[in-house]
Amino acid sequence: MIRHIFTLMWNRRRANGLLVLEIFLAYVVLFAVGTIGSSLWENYRQPLGFRFDNVWQVNFLPGTQPKAEALGTLQQVLARLRATPGVLGVAVTASNTPFSFNDSRTAIDFADRPGGPKRPINNINSYAVGPELRDVMGLEVTKGRWFDQRDAVAGSHPPLVIDEQMQRAMFPTGESALGKLLTLNKDKQWRIIGVVRAYRTDGELKEPLPAIFGPIAPADTLFLPQSLLVRVAPGSGAALEKRLADDIRRIGPGWTSTIRTLDEMHSSQLKQVITRPLLLSVMSIFLLLNVALGLFGVLWLAISARRAELGVRRALGAPAGAIARLIVGETLALTTFGLVLGLLVAVQFPLLGALGERTSVYLTAIALAAGALYLLATICALYPSRLAAGIRPAVALREE
Amino acid sequence: MQPQPTTAPAPPAATATPPVIQLTGIEKVYQTSTIETVALSNVNLSINRGEFVSVMGPSGCGKSTLLSLMGLLDEPSGGTIAIDGRPVGSYSDKELAGLRNHKIGFVFQSYHLINDLSVRDNVELPLLYRPGIGGSERRRRALAALDKVGLTARTGHFPAQLSGGQRQRVAIARALVGEPEIILADEPTGNLDSVMGEEIMDLLLGLNRAQGTTLVMVTHDEQQALKTGRLVRFFDGRQVA
Ligand SMILES: Nc1ncnc2c1ncn2[C@@H]1O[C@H](COP(=O)(O)OP(=O)(O)OP(=O)(O)O)[C@@H](O)[C@H]1O
Ligand SMILES: [Mg+2]
Repeated sequence: MIRHIFTLMWNRRRANGLLVLEIFLAYVVLFAVGTIGSSLWENYRQPLGFRFDNVWQVNFLPGTQPKAEALGTLQQVLARLRATPGVLGVAVTASNTPFSFNDSRTAIDFADRPGGPKRPINNINSYAVGPELRDVMGLEVTKGRWFDQRDAVAGSHPPLVIDEQMQRAMFPTGESALGKLLTLNKDKQWRIIGVVRAYRTDGELKEPLPAIFGPIAPADTLFLPQSLLVRVAPGSGAALEKRLADDIRRIGPGWTSTIRTLDEMHSSQLKQVITRPLLLSVMSIFLLLNVALGLFGVLWLAISARRAELGVRRALGAPAGAIARLIVGETLALTTFGLVLGLLVAVQFPLLGALGERTSVYLTAIALAAGALYLLATICALYPSRLAAGIRPAVALREE
Repeated sequence: MQPQPTTAPAPPAATATPPVIQLTGIEKVYQTSTIETVALSNVNLSINRGEFVSVMGPSGCGKSTLLSLMGLLDEPSGGTIAIDGRPVGSYSDKELAGLRNHKIGFVFQSYHLINDLSVRDNVELPLLYRPGIGGSERRRRALAALDKVGLTARTGHFPAQLSGGQRQRVAIARALVGEPEIILADEPTGNLDSVMGEEIMDLLLGLNRAQGTTLVMVTHDEQQALKTGRLVRFFDGRQVA
């Protein structure tokens, strides 16, 4: 029967060409949707690395106050906030806080480091943070240690914490990064003292990037952080928010501040990130619907054009089931042809490393799209095949 | 030439073996939106095992309709059809398909070959719906059947590349290939020259004689009809002889 199907397909190759083209296009659409979907899913599955419930982001502007003075004022503000009932912890940080759409990226060229990977690591998220960040955000230290008092008395190399993604990027073979020196900005060398699970401030749907953390010491006089992350007691609300804002205004002459919960920042960031893929998905659903209708229509048309043939088959003793299987079998065989063409296109993406997407994402999309294509083809063939099976042998006597 | 010795002796209807095909009180009415055509009216006809029956009558008298009912291709508007004594109304679709496939070989008046299949694949078709016959066996039998109708040189051709007479022979080969007990042939020599027609007629007579195949053949040729065991005449949907 399978050979019969292929014979028939080959003999009808011209009529089938259109169908194969349609199926090929359907596969390409499915592959595109699958890539977006599996990319988002792949990102979503990775650990976020921090807890953002009951954390507030406080951004402040020191107004016209000179930087040297502002640094002192900041210490007062910090002391004040930490002493406020309902505040469980306060960490200073550069402005690339979670879900803020701010980022600070750096790249490291490892070409000079013997034994390391030869290619540079691009797009590293770089965070300048106070030592309190671990407790405020609930970061999980998986190796080595987080910043502490020891760093204040350390010798020549300032400490650096990296995340696991960075560890993997630096040492794909699994060698520990602990104690290694890292040259940043071509001049200063940093010693890696610890590894945290992750700190994905870009949100759960963005591709996880490697991260490095440099400490903001209380005595730092070079850098004036303008963001605070504040962990508050559960249930804290507007009253505490007003009190913090009032305190900042009172202590800092001319200081202004904005306070937002990370919860709220998270939802607005999520909305923004998901909009484009969502729109694309809706568009592709319509596109697929179109393709499905086309497939269905072409199959249906093919059945009506083949009524006489199918009637003859019935007259020669084909049971209704065999006719249905013939139609479904032919459709699936044609689907396989269209799929092979589609695969030829799809595999180019991981092979050429196009669009910078991960290979695993492409492979998942290729498999998902193939499954979906067969499902689509089967669904589209089901009704026409039932129609075909219902053709009575007497039809053979009339048609022609 | 005497027709009698060429056919196997038909057992009388009263014996224990029932007729292979029995039509009782058959009516066939074709209903179209504008008119109603009575194609067959109160037809009672028994075909016994091993018989060779020819059917004659003017155009439009219902011969093809009769054959399609015997071949289980269509259902009568009234009356019953029994195969081997069992009314076909009691058969399931699958059983009917099995009967059409194993028991009956049908030669259509207008051939009804499948244009997208080669001559050989067309002839193989009935065997395709028989479980347990492999591809090479199908091919062997198809080539043997084509050999019987003298078409071995055309097996890779497509129906569109054949003459009317060649198509008719392919249709005959397709009816023979499954070695059915019954062959129903609707003007099987209608498009053949007299020599070829004679050969096909001899082939059918040979099957009837050597293998006891039951044959019902529609023909317009009195000479051919005389060679068969029994002649049934129709006029305007009724059996007249
Ligand atoms: N599908 C159909 N729908 C309507 N009327 C039909 C149909 N098939 C046959 N008829 C009518 O039934 C009658 C008998 O037709 P049938 O084909 O059995 O005649 P026939 O004896 O085989 O004729 P011929 O010798 O020309 O082949 C004719 O009047 C024909 O018009
Ligand atoms: Mg006729």
